[in-house]
Amino acid sequence: MIEINGVSKSYNRGAVRAVDNVSLTVNNGEIFGFLGPNGAGKTTLIKMITGILNADAGTIRINGLDIRENPLAAKTQFGFVPDDPNIFARLTGIEYLNFMADIYQVPAGERKSRTRKLLERFEMINAAGDRIQSYSHGMKQKIVVIGALLHSPPVWILDEPMTGLDPRSAYDLKEMMREHADADKTVFFSTHVLDVAEKICDRLAIINKGKVIFCGSMEEIRAHARENQSLENLFLELTEDV
Amino acid sequence: MFRFWALLKILLINYFGISLIQLKNPANRRDYLKKTGLGIIIMVALAPTIFLYIRMLIQGFDVLAPLGQEGSILSLGVVLVSALVFFFGVFYVVSFFYFAADAESLLALPLRAWQVLGARFCLLLCYEYLTALPFLLPPLIVYGVKAGVGPVYWIIAGLGFFLVPVLPLSLAAIPTIVVMRFANLSRRKDLFKIVGSLFVIALVIAYQFLFQNAAPNSMDPDFLRQLFTARTGLMNYMSRVFPSTRYLGLALVNWSSISGWLSLLTFIGISLLALVLAWVTGEKLYYKGLIGSSETTARHRALSQEDYKRLEQSTPAQLAYFMKEVRILLRTPTYFMNSVMTNLLAPVLVLLPFYIQSHNGVAMPWNSLINPSGQGILMAIVIAIVLFIVGSNAMTATSISREGKEFYISRFIPLSYQGQINAKMFSAFVFGISGTILMVLASTLLIPFGPAWTAILIGVGMVGIIPIIEAGMLLDILRPKLEWENEQQAFKQNLNVMFSMLLSMLMAGLVIYFVVGYFHTALQATLFMLCFFTITAVLLYYLIMSWGIRRYQKLEP
Repeated sequence: MIEINGVSKSYNRGAVRAVDNVSLTVNNGEIFGFLGPNGAGKTTLIKMITGILNADAGTIRINGLDIRENPLAAKTQFGFVPDDPNIFARLTGIEYLNFMADIYQVPAGERKSRTRKLLERFEMINAAGDRIQSYSHGMKQKIVVIGALLHSPPVWILDEPMTGLDPRSAYDLKEMMREHADADKTVFFSTHVLDVAEKICDRLAIINKGKVIFCGSMEEIRAHARENQSLENLFLELTEDV
Repeated sequence: MFRFWALLKILLINYFGISLIQLKNPANRRDYLKKTGLGIIIMVALAPTIFLYIRMLIQGFDVLAPLGQEGSILSLGVVLVSALVFFFGVFYVVSFFYFAADAESLLALPLRAWQVLGARFCLLLCYEYLTALPFLLPPLIVYGVKAGVGPVYWIIAGLGFFLVPVLPLSLAAIPTIVVMRFANLSRRKDLFKIVGSLFVIALVIAYQFLFQNAAPNSMDPDFLRQLFTARTGLMNYMSRVFPSTRYLGLALVNWSSISGWLSLLTFIGISLLALVLAWVTGEKLYYKGLIGSSETTARHRALSQEDYKRLEQSTPAQLAYFMKEVRILLRTPTYFMNSVMTNLLAPVLVLLPFYIQSHNGVAMPWNSLINPSGQGILMAIVIAIVLFIVGSNAMTATSISREGKEFYISRFIPLSYQGQINAKMFSAFVFGISGTILMVLASTLLIPFGPAWTAILIGVGMVGIIPIIEAGMLLDILRPKLEWENEQQAFKQNLNVMFSMLLSMLMAGLVIYFVVGYFHTALQATLFMLCFFTITAVLLYYLIMSWGIRRYQKLEP
């Protein structure tokens, strides 16, 4: 569960408000989509949830643990997939996975089977011995996803996860997100691809210019739409009005 | 030609951040002011060294003037700059021409190879001017002022300043362009960088060895007579390293005569010839070497038994972070060459000239200190060099900077900031120990410390590098350089490296000052150094773990 309460973040000494008083709750067992145009504040909010950026105001709790007050315990609660998989390029895939397993203290007895299962699922078993710098963008994305799931996190946070993935891997990733939520865990992801959001989200929020302008289920958002109005048109309408 | 200028302009703005349009924005202006302030601080910090250099030049001029050899101070600056530009040029050409983040994207633009190469060459030249400034400007000015020259001299000097780096940079560029094209080594770019760098270093060492061995005995009266009888004898002798620099020296010394102008024309001709040759080579070969330079071949290696075995073992998080640091230091050529190899090569480079001289029977300047009342001073000198080596490898002073865009990982993983910083410092300590041991052992070839004192010296060195490592860590916490396009920038354009070096010099200076002044015997010096280092280390560690951690917490990628 993720609880975001009155979170704000600004740059240039308050001149640019990247995230403006955002409050959201993401429940266990749901896939929560976070939508918005480029520069709306999606990545900034995700970086604050994961502790990469410090919020100027407000609180963020992950499974009840405050990311500011209790950062280490809160960080063990989630696995994070960033939008740009810039990871240690000179390590091999398997070295990176071992590093993540050590950092998250994955028990020795479980890590071999988990790593192997995930590598096979993403068809990375034959590339895991190579250095990450030789990987394509999609392969880097896959190794980051595997690294994020090694410790079976109760909360899974993904920033634009479909970018660079081939159709097969994108399909697999969506399946895994669904499995994660079905196991009563939380999935929170950002995207600007409406198609993806429409197909897999249980609930979603739309953010524009740092403010959440809509939050609800797919049914609720459809209720907002006029007859025969597509989600795309509704999204354009909502983000233009602000 | 228009495209060439357009590209050069964009590259200059991108690399130096100089743009008049950007200055109109107050937010950017603050950044500029910060940079200018920092520049002033650096100049103030370097002022004593430059002042010393200027004083040396003035004294050199006064001593050499009665012999008619005062022009040698010009050769000193010109040869020094040429050598620096050439040796650093080899590294810079590879990273600027082939491994810059924007190198491949320019391939898609309708630009000729010479235009791209030429613009990058000019950009690199600008960097070299910055390197040349403190070394070349003082001799040009000192000579001009002391010799009471006319305006023509200053014109020649100005032209000379801008032309000096052209030839050595061209000489560095041509073989690199050829090698990158034909050996197609760029597919193994890490290996290429390391092997290439080691080759250049081997060349420097071999050159030093041969030059010193082949040099006539400086006390030989015949040699001295020859050197000082001709007006430009000493100048010619010094210019042997880069023969063309002789013409600039002659042009400056004979500024008022036709022969001076002829020498200048010859120097300009040689420089332009080298430049054209480099650009023509570029036009023919640059694109062919560049295409695919960012590709790395994957072996598609299936996991080995060892990999699977490793998967069954669990390592403490802090140790895993330490291992990650070590692996990246060893595998990234820029970091390996600048940090790891400095530890190993610096003792050799520092001591080799003395070793050769002592081998040739020349009396060492410290021989009078080899007695019980002078051993402490000798020990302090060895420790001072150890401190300088560890300070100049800047392993901790760049440890956060090196993460660059990957810094976000350190922010979201569940490893405490204390743990991360300890792991970073410990990795620097492990490499620092190798430098300490090597330096102390190498020094015993010249100074007979005896086994017991050698072991004690290693121990003192190991304690001594701790505050240097901590000071570097504090520097990088204070001002990490996280925005960079290629790894060279994280190191070469990171002022923390220089600050770390200056701090280690300060520390080394303090140690020598106190030991020379108050603690002459080996035991006294050892006890003083151990106390001094321990107290500084404890204080700095406390500072890192309190203020430093709070500051680290606030760092944002």
